[in-house]
Amino acid sequence: MSVSVEEFIGELQRKAERGELLYIGQSLRRIDDLEKVLGKPIYTNDLLPRETLYARLVLSKQPHAILKGIGVARAISYPTVKAVLTYQDIPGENISSTIIPDRPLFAFEKVRSTGDIVAAVIAENERRAAEATELVDVQYEPLPAVFDPIEAMKPDAPKVHSEGNVIKHMKVRKGDVEKGFQDSDIIVENTFRTQFQDAVPLEAETALAIPRDNGKLLIIGSMQTPHHVQAAVARVLGRPLEDIEVIQAVTGGAFGPKSDEPPYDVSSIAALGAIKTGRPVLMSMTRKESMIAHTKRHPAIIHHKTGVKSNGRLVASEVQIVLDGGAYASLGVLVIVRATFHANGPYDIPNVKNDGYKVYTNNTYTGSFRGFGAPQAIFAAEAQMDEIARKLNMDPLDLRLMNMLRPGSRTSTGQLMDDSCGLPECVDAVVSASNYREKRREYSQQSGKVRRGIGIAMLHHGNALGPEGNDYAYVHLSVEKNGRVHLGTALTEYGTGAVSGLAQIAASVLGIPLDYFVLDRPDTLAHHETGATVASRVTAIGGNAARDAAMKLKERATAVAARLLGVSPSDVRIVDGLAFVSGNPKRTVSWEEVVRAAYESGVELSVIGYYMAPQCVWDQETGLGSPYNQYTFGAAVAEVEVDVETGQYRVLNYYVAFDVGKAINPKNVIGQLYGGSVQGIGYAMMEELVHVNGKVVNPNLKDYYIPTSMDVPERMVPIIVEKPGSMGVYGAKIIAEPPIVLPAPAIRNAIMNAIGDGVNDLPITAEKVYRKAKELGLG
Amino acid sequence: MDRIRISFRLNGVEREAFVSPEERLLDMLRDDMGMKSVKEGCGTGDCGTCTVLVNGKPVLSCIMPAFQARGKEITTLEGLNEDSAMKVIQDKFREYHAAQCGFCTPAMEIVGYKLIKESDGVPSKEEVKEGISGVLCRCTGYYDIVDALRSAAEVIKK
Amino acid sequence: MEVLMPNTLDEALRALVKNQDAVIVAGGTDLWPRIRDLEVRPERLLDISGLSGELSYIRKEGGKVRIGSMTTIAEIYESRELDGPLEVFKDVAAKFGSPQIRNAATIGGNICASLSSEDYITLLLALDASVVLKSVYGERTLRLEDFIVDKRTVNRKPYEIVTEVQFNDMTDGWRAGFEKIGRRNTLIINLVNVAVALRYNGRVEEARVALNRVNRKVPGRARAAEKALLGKEIRGDSDLEEAVEALRGELSLTSDFRASGEYRVALAEVYFKRIVKRLVGVA
Ligand SMILES: Cc1cc2nc3c(=O)[nH]c(=O)nc-3n(C[C@H](O)[C@H](O)[C@H](O)COP(=O)(O)OP(=O)(O)OC[C@H]3O[C@@H](n4cnc5c(N)ncnc54)[C@H](O)[C@@H]3O)c2cc1C
Ligand code: FES
Ligand code: FES
Repeated sequence: MSVSVEEFIGELQRKAERGELLYIGQSLRRIDDLEKVLGKPIYTNDLLPRETLYARLVLSKQPHAILKGIGVARAISYPTVKAVLTYQDIPGENISSTIIPDRPLFAFEKVRSTGDIVAAVIAENERRAAEATELVDVQYEPLPAVFDPIEAMKPDAPKVHSEGNVIKHMKVRKGDVEKGFQDSDIIVENTFRTQFQDAVPLEAETALAIPRDNGKLLIIGSMQTPHHVQAAVARVLGRPLEDIEVIQAVTGGAFGPKSDEPPYDVSSIAALGAIKTGRPVLMSMTRKESMIAHTKRHPAIIHHKTGVKSNGRLVASEVQIVLDGGAYASLGVLVIVRATFHANGPYDIPNVKNDGYKVYTNNTYTGSFRGFGAPQAIFAAEAQMDEIARKLNMDPLDLRLMNMLRPGSRTSTGQLMDDSCGLPECVDAVVSASNYREKRREYSQQSGKVRRGIGIAMLHHGNALGPEGNDYAYVHLSVEKNGRVHLGTALTEYGTGAVSGLAQIAASVLGIPLDYFVLDRPDTLAHHETGATVASRVTAIGGNAARDAAMKLKERATAVAARLLGVSPSDVRIVDGLAFVSGNPKRTVSWEEVVRAAYESGVELSVIGYYMAPQCVWDQETGLGSPYNQYTFGAAVAEVEVDVETGQYRVLNYYVAFDVGKAINPKNVIGQLYGGSVQGIGYAMMEELVHVNGKVVNPNLKDYYIPTSMDVPERMVPIIVEKPGSMGVYGAKIIAEPPIVLPAPAIRNAIMNAIGDGVNDLPITAEKVYRKAKELGLG
Repeated sequence: MDRIRISFRLNGVEREAFVSPEERLLDMLRDDMGMKSVKEGCGTGDCGTCTVLVNGKPVLSCIMPAFQARGKEITTLEGLNEDSAMKVIQDKFREYHAAQCGFCTPAMEIVGYKLIKESDGVPSKEEVKEGISGVLCRCTGYYDIVDALRSAAEVIKK
Repeated sequence: MEVLMPNTLDEALRALVKNQDAVIVAGGTDLWPRIRDLEVRPERLLDISGLSGELSYIRKEGGKVRIGSMTTIAEIYESRELDGPLEVFKDVAAKFGSPQIRNAATIGGNICASLSSEDYITLLLALDASVVLKSVYGERTLRLEDFIVDKRTVNRKPYEIVTEVQFNDMTDGWRAGFEKIGRRNTLIINLVNVAVALRYNGRVEEARVALNRVNRKVPGRARAAEKALLGKEIRGDSDLEEAVEALRGELSLTSDFRASGEYRVALAEVYFKRIVKRLVGVA
């Protein structure tokens, strides 16, 4: 079937007449991946000027100790070493923190974890720098240390900082749980545990600092939020913001730690080195440095007590979450907020009492990581549901159907669900795609050494920042004389395609093809501070700003086109780069002509779009209210095959459906469903950064396993559900984070279906399944 | 530091380099030869992002001594960018959104290229998964990469 | 650091006798990460990659199979010589590192690294292989079991190069199996590996069993289990009970963060049984 160009344009024009948005919902190609597939030098470490020096870290050898002295003399005289930096070299404040200023850049007076940076060696040659780190003579006087967060909460526990070890206590109080328990027919109590997970972006944290002739500094680095890095470096250097320009280089994966404090560290150290030596300095963490010194996902100990009617109705839920914060607060003080709000799962429960604690220990610190507290909370909540179902002798799906959120029901904070609640649709989708009911029946009558199981899990996920901060965004659009449109924003891209998606939105509004767009690198000099690029908020929130900018630009362009066409602006339509007169598609003027005319008549084609989400209102003491403007919903079914003799198991099939409100670019959404699910499968099955007495024993990819191509389910079925939300652009909801959450509970529940009991601590290794199977007498 | 003079072919061109004994092939390629498509994701042989072809075989440049490159034919993505099969692969990576952060992409394309060149027809999903198993990807979950490579193979093998 | 880069075995042996402190580099996959990590800091290296023409071969001669020390794991994986019962070499290769590692790693390097994580040591012990060492003074052949002394220690004089591993071809009922178990499907350090070689003609006439850790920190033979297998006709699990009992007694699989010793023993037992049953063709 071939369509002539005229017919094609004609069709587009008819759509434009109807006011349809041409590119929304289309799986357009990304405009930022050409350089990637060609292997062009675009990442920080590819961009080194001549004469660049290399920095390596000296990390603490003790989890908790008084710092008696740091001898740098031998290291300084080592061949090619140019400088050794310690706290004494900091002209400004020795702080490298996001929210609570509890973390020094370089250890001072004492060390609190083996991830603490004591010094940095800067040399001509990376290897010499590494060798010289061993010559830095650090004297410690060990202090009693605490590694277990429950121990750390006790009053007589060693104190990691001067105050007590509980950094934050977050509460939700709804109804009366005690009464709820009295009204219940059964009470189910369980404790769940999760592990340290490392994000392992394939590009570890890195920053390059280049001194400029005018005394200012340019920093190019791998990060999520350039303005935060700028402020952090300025604080360390004791210099005004404008002395420091930060550009985000193409970033090789981020997943959270690059929105937290690690980019502050690498950027500040590179900056200090550049000032001290007058030369460009690269501070690029090795994998090992990164895995010890950057933030990880908090391990959690979660206790559930649930009161249920014998028919399955949930009456009361009491949850206690204790997060191992490691030695510093980081963004973890917000992680506990999200964890506590989501602790009961996506269910309507009249009586709720949640307590979340983020606690200091002498482990390496934990913070922001895809999911932001939800993976821990939902693993426990969804495992608890299957435990309840078992007690009631009910199918776990039926238990969920009876209690889950739907339009008209209320969350644990009392927030009313409106029509945008697509959880029932997500559940339907995975249940029918997986043939859940039939398989469940089939798998209930197995014997033998190899058994299959099927399990379900679901979630709600409060959108964007909500209680985590002001949700605003700026997007700049400016048109060059040749018609190319530059999209600039300090919202960053690190893999998802979201910023290309912003251009797609702008292209749709403007009526010009996506390939007219150029994405400018986020740069603190060129772009407004726009909040953090976190919480998966680029499309939903940033999209509104892109739309706003495009509408402003369109108004100006339309006026110019109207002049050229001799009609009133209300009669002008623009489609596919062509402005035409409504009802008269032959009378056209090209985008390029419009732009030229604008330049010649002094019409400025440069605009800034802005969006600020409505404030979320909830009570600080009880948590009651609406902490989020809208929610993403999701459900997943996992099917496993277990070898009961060894506990080894495979995920055969994985079905996952998400209500994303509106899929601006469906292929990008699917990319997140695939990628997030596989990262979640790693979390479920194999990933664990192991600390022994505060020391990380597997800070490398030889012993910290992430899934390879051979470890992913044979079949993964991603499904998109669209129930538009009230806040996101065109109804879009956030999607980059939540897919990581569901594999752990779905797989756990599938294994429980296969062997008759579930593993309540992550990761679910073959050994743990083997032990369960043995307890049950199956092996 | 003693330097060793070696000569080799890089992307079809005779080259010479003075390498230090502990230098890795990765360092020589990136720092001395400017081949920035070669990435360092781990430095210990465990992630595969540093994969290059040595005498036509994929190996890890982060654990290969630079001096072992002497007399060898080395190919990086820069040397394949004009290759017609590689162009198809790159186009398919874009079509399938198989490059998210892009850090694993050059290595994925190289191992995919080898796999397609050496297989008789269109490799099965299992064969592709095995072929790329030495390169980790943290973003895509591999599915889009597998589909992109199989779709590329369909075009290339026609 | 100085690097000697001979092009022939003769040159290499002469260079080595003069520079006995030189550390040999073959594929470098074991050594190079350790140099990078500053774990070893050699003054001198002897790069034998130039000898791959001479020392990379797989030959069957006079009832013996001979594999040159510079043969890569990929060459083993693709070899046509290794057919029939010798296909077991490919089972090892299939789970060896990644395709890229297999293209560089050599079998000589594998045995010389002498660790419990070296998979070919386990298989070659079950085949009762021998190691050929050459020097300017001549050649000697040692049983692999005597060559492997301890973790990172082998019975090699500083002026010797390992040139070959050899073992009797598997004929008249010999067959061998191998399993490696890790925590994911590929690119794994083994939790346990097991190799079993049997001469089976209705009954077990000879048996050799090797595992990654038996008594020492390096792979070794499980002799009690071997003995318990002798003479057995194997129809099912019950015929293996005695051997499994014996095996349990001689394993020293320690606990670490990867797995407990108890679990490793359990895996070893299960896979030992599975291999034996597979080798004799019972379900
Ligand atoms: C990512 C990764 C995955 C791996 N996976 C596996 C795996 O699955 N299974 C496994 O068994 N191993 C594995 N290894 C370990 C390693 O690849 C093997 O030990 C390999 O066989 C070593 O061979 P090589 O040629 O690279 O040895 P090299 O590193 O060159 O040498 C290893 C040691 O042997 C000595 N040596 C080498 N050749 C000779 C010789 N001819 N004569 C005397 N001494 C010699 C060297 O001096 C050195 O001490 C892996 C390694 C990495 C990095
Ligand atoms: S950098 Fe070479 S394998 Fe990771
Ligand atoms: S695309 Fe990011 S690691 Fe593969």
